[in-house]
Amino acid sequence: MSTIPKSRLVALAVFLIVLALFPLGANGYILGVLTTAFYFAVFAMSWDLLFGYAGEVNFGPTFLIGLGAYGAGMSNALLGLPVPLAVVVGAIVAVAGGVALAIPALRLSGPYLGLITLVSVLLLQQAIVIFAGVTGGEIGLSVPDVLSISSAVNYEYALAFMLVSGLILFLISRSSLGMILQAAGQDQVAAAALGFNATRHKILAFAVSALFSGLAGAFLVFYLGTASVSAVVDISIGVRVIIAAVLGGRRTIIGGAIGSVFLIVAGELLRPIGQLSTFVVALIALVVIVLFPDGLLGLLPHRRGA
Amino acid sequence: MLAIQILIDGFAISTLYALGALGFTLIFGVSGVLNLAHGGLMVIAAMIAWYVGTSIGLGPYVGAAAGLAVCLVAALVTYGGIVRPIENSRAVPAHERELFVLTATLLWGVMIQEALSYAFTNSPITVQPLIAGTVSILGVRTPINEIFIAAVAWAVMGALWLLVNRTRIGRRLLAASINPRALTLLGFELDQIYLFVWVIYGLLAGIAGVLLGSFLGSGSGYVPGLTGSAFTIVVLGGLGSVSGTLIAAYIVGYIETLTAYLVSPSLREVPALILLVVVIYMRPQGLLGRR
Amino acid sequence: MSGKKAALAAVIAGAAVAVAAPAAQAASPIVVGITSEIGTIPGKAIANGAVLAAEQINAAGGINGRPLKLVIEDDHLSTTDAIRSFQRMVRQDHAVAIVGTFVSEVALALEPWAARLHEPYLITGAAANELSEYVHKDFKAHQYIFHAYMPAAYLAQAVCDATKDTLVDQFHMKTAVVMSEDAAWTKPLDAGYDACLPKIGVKVLDNIRFAPNTSDFTPIYQKIEKLNPNVIIAGWAHVGVQPTVQWAQQKVPIALAGINAQAGSSVFWKATNGATEGVITGSTSAPGVAITPKTLPFTDAYQKKFGYSPAYSAYSTYDAVYALADALKRAKSTKALAIVHALEKTNMVGTQGRIAFQGAKSKFAHALKYGPDYVTGVAIQWQDGQQKCVWPLKLANAKVVFPSFVKLPPKS
Repeated sequence: MSTIPKSRLVALAVFLIVLALFPLGANGYILGVLTTAFYFAVFAMSWDLLFGYAGEVNFGPTFLIGLGAYGAGMSNALLGLPVPLAVVVGAIVAVAGGVALAIPALRLSGPYLGLITLVSVLLLQQAIVIFAGVTGGEIGLSVPDVLSISSAVNYEYALAFMLVSGLILFLISRSSLGMILQAAGQDQVAAAALGFNATRHKILAFAVSALFSGLAGAFLVFYLGTASVSAVVDISIGVRVIIAAVLGGRRTIIGGAIGSVFLIVAGELLRPIGQLSTFVVALIALVVIVLFPDGLLGLLPHRRGA
Repeated sequence: MLAIQILIDGFAISTLYALGALGFTLIFGVSGVLNLAHGGLMVIAAMIAWYVGTSIGLGPYVGAAAGLAVCLVAALVTYGGIVRPIENSRAVPAHERELFVLTATLLWGVMIQEALSYAFTNSPITVQPLIAGTVSILGVRTPINEIFIAAVAWAVMGALWLLVNRTRIGRRLLAASINPRALTLLGFELDQIYLFVWVIYGLLAGIAGVLLGSFLGSGSGYVPGLTGSAFTIVVLGGLGSVSGTLIAAYIVGYIETLTAYLVSPSLREVPALILLVVVIYMRPQGLLGRR
Repeated sequence: MSGKKAALAAVIAGAAVAVAAPAAQAASPIVVGITSEIGTIPGKAIANGAVLAAEQINAAGGINGRPLKLVIEDDHLSTTDAIRSFQRMVRQDHAVAIVGTFVSEVALALEPWAARLHEPYLITGAAANELSEYVHKDFKAHQYIFHAYMPAAYLAQAVCDATKDTLVDQFHMKTAVVMSEDAAWTKPLDAGYDACLPKIGVKVLDNIRFAPNTSDFTPIYQKIEKLNPNVIIAGWAHVGVQPTVQWAQQKVPIALAGINAQAGSSVFWKATNGATEGVITGSTSAPGVAITPKTLPFTDAYQKKFGYSPAYSAYSTYDAVYALADALKRAKSTKALAIVHALEKTNMVGTQGRIAFQGAKSKFAHALKYGPDYVTGVAIQWQDGQQKCVWPLKLANAKVVFPSFVKLPPKS
């Protein structure tokens, strides 16, 4: 691991302490916005591990998120499992889904893979509607238990989850696994020639991405108190995740967090213009992507290249 | 009687699917672009056709022409404002261009959907059919509009085939899809060819949008579904293969129709989705796709 | 005047001013939150109905001297946004009650939060039975919720009542096929149809449910035509334009009635290019029909203020805001339970009929009371580009007439 200057560490620590102490000063509205943003940050960071490092374009991150969310939601609502156990079930379902998606994904690349991941979201959506008896269908599934009613407690849960997930994902990306994934992602033939089993590592990448996406999806369900297609499966959610990751800066992990917070805060700031807020956010994201492909982190002067 | 009903109805819906997916596959086959704003372009055509034709009241023909024109403009904006800058951008590494084009067109599609929703609300409408009335085919009462749509669709496909296989510029299109660099070496302007393809794509999407809008309806909420339907067909048939798209469209259309008639209308989409899953696992490049 | 008396007078005057000043500042607004999907026609209607009601209430002096202030939030058809919005309006804006939405999915997601946050919540526009069944399930915890519209079961009953007076009595119709989108709100609707149609002498030949994203209705119409019923009783909200247009384009020779929610909108004629001629649907109101003395003044004021006619959810929201204001006036308090108890005693004339809520013992606790003395809705039929009221008979301004391609049973 490269050495990080002490001043940076201190600055980071101060920043984290400020974040943790936010609820003391901020009101429920801001806390609520940030809580959602933190869960989105985990969605985006998991996506970046898969794309930025393994080079796998996943156009349907909500397939994994949705599996985690509904897995956890249904365990709690139908089977009566307590929240921690339900979250574990959600994570297992998401990982299983991730591996199932990985298998055809590995024989493809580029646009083929992208389309299939997108199709997986459509399939999940259809399945939820068809089995509406157990999933709640298009009107969603209410879960009896929530993490907390207090916005401060929810905020802390989300913050802690984001920091832990972010740290793990970041460490993976900088580890030998991360290096192998990058090598395999950028030049599969060369990686194979060097003796690395790119396939096994890619399945691992899918599984890790699925684990964190699924966990975040499950937590989101117990924050909102409901699992619904529009909240965790819809293509528009997936679009926002991808935008967040690319906007923040791909192949950085942290970029995903930055992009998510930026997008959600921007969406809130634009609320006064009402209906057109989604349009404006998409426009801003489009401009950034076309003009500054390295994203927000790429705008920093002393950022080292990936 | 039932068999003839299934035959006719299946043919109508399959032709619509083919029409909707055709431009999508063409633009990928020739210029390598997966335009995820495809549904947006088609809905623009339909909404303008309805607005000019019905809401303002200028009649279905003027409306259809207006829809076609605006869709063409939108397609060119997509090419000139989004696709081309990214493809020519030096900031984006070559192997990531596709992702950026995909993401950018996805965003553009969202913008189109929101803009349409703001302008027209998301209430669905139907484009006024160009020809009204019904006719009896072998005892089955069929709206003349359906026959008209099928005729136009096949005429367009025929014209496209002629263009690609029998004209000079068509052959250059084909060559560009196989080996763009070689074409440049031979001195042909790739930019001109791409522009030409996008013009054709704009017209195709416009025709598809207006015709689909007269049978299936349209509205800002249709944007993601139309894109999704197009690339489902294209994934099945094989990216970049026009004949693959056609075959896949008819397979999906008939499977859906058979299910709706013989099994249950609420399970209409299920067999096609199962087929899709099977194809993804068994033959991921699609029926006639190249790797 | 002597110096002492002048000083005393000054002190008294000063005290009077000191007392009067805070009293004038005490006219702080009462905040009510509105959550809706502004980009949709029914959603915008909710916001508009609330705005009009608030304006009129404030012009008449407010609520016990305090003005009513609305906070309107667009939830973009997203449960996540709606939940965040709900929490924000309760915690941030200190709303005493929340009103909205017409999407059952969103309303169902908000109900647990109304219970957790002890916030009165009036649902205007959504129709799922579950909404009020939820209140009945755990009344003590869920009593904050009021379904200020009709559960699907009552919508079905209204259709049966209308069908009896028009299609059965006038056209001697005896058979029907129920055709509904496969959605949550139509399950109790279909069950309601199956129960009440035989009671009025109409036999249900089949129940057909289609996927909500169906776009090709030809197989369904072919199937129905084979069964040869006199009428198709619909349960449509998610779809409307396509099945109507295809019914007309294919000249399906069977009358179309029931609930075609989109057909209740004034723009439906243009949206279907006139294919909706002859289609009957249950609705909240009809143009020019005075269900109560408040109906037409509302419609006129709405048309004048917004430039178009009100959708069904505008009526229910307008009535809900008035009911809320009325309850606040009687309760003389903004505490949640005080508002709830006052709402339960509501008995006022609204634009839809007489507004009153059912009690805790009812299966649909806190839903609107249904019946000729309360709210039933109307049935309208599109004729020549206009919505004509065909039921209740005492309000009807036209007789039912079908397009020529519809085959009618012989006059027996």
